[in-house]
Amino acid sequence: MNAIAFLKAAYIVAWVVYLGYLGRILLRMKRVEEEMKELEQSGSDSSRK
Amino acid sequence: MKKLALISIPLTVALLAYTSYLALMVAPTEQTMGDVQRIFYYHVPSGWVAGLCFFINFVASAVFLWKRSEASDALAAASAEVGVVFCTVLLITGPLWARPVWGIWWTWDARLTTTLVLWLIYVSYLVLRRFAAGGQTQVLAAAFAIFGFADVPIVYMSIRWFRTQHPSPVMGGGENSGLAPAMLHVFLTNLVAFTVLGVLFVVLRYKLQMQEQALESAHAQMALKGVSR
Repeated sequence: MNAIAFLKAAYIVAWVVYLGYLGRILLRMKRVEEEMKELEQSGSDSSRK
Repeated sequence: MKKLALISIPLTVALLAYTSYLALMVAPTEQTMGDVQRIFYYHVPSGWVAGLCFFINFVASAVFLWKRSEASDALAAASAEVGVVFCTVLLITGPLWARPVWGIWWTWDARLTTTLVLWLIYVSYLVLRRFAAGGQTQVLAAAFAIFGFADVPIVYMSIRWFRTQHPSPVMGGGENSGLAPAMLHVFLTNLVAFTVLGVLFVVLRYKLQMQEQALESAHAQMALKGVSR
């Protein structure tokens, strides 16, 4: 491997890790929001009964 | 929060793309190492942000032990996780730079070893938070974080205290240290961009932590209601 390959690998790994982590946070936020909505829905349904 | 994320995420990614362009295309080529030295513009800012996050974790943990506020505990959890992410990139880009320059991927010198220990400390902190059972997890984690932070100044000072394979500090390392003005400009721009990315991650992760805590207490309330009926 030449030096340029190491340079490319370092930049690609950094971008993959950072964008992957950002995606993971956003996905978890979406899931928590959905779960919260479901919980509110089931709470209001049970109080009506 | 959604509006803030919609604006700040594309802006931060654009800023990082611009600073990467500066690092790869605009910064002058270093005479001894050649183009592979451009890893420096990602490696050092990643280390800086990791240290900053661990400092935030240290302060938030101390505040939690003092005031027992959920917000400071959430900030401590968020900053530790983000710090581990940046420290991971630091530990990957380091060997990728070392292999073509030193001829080896890794050596057990003081800087590299203390950095690996730092990463292990904060991974252990996250594992403790995730899997410890009982009501004292937050207190344990906060105490662990305060002791764990002791490694951060050791990592920083290791290249001053010991003779290492890792190079001496580029900035503030004595008479022969320093960067050419064109390199310094690119380096500082990358440092700002990585700091912005780190702050964005901590804010988003903090928000997520608070949401998860709210969800957990909502679940507990629902369970209590069920029991009381």
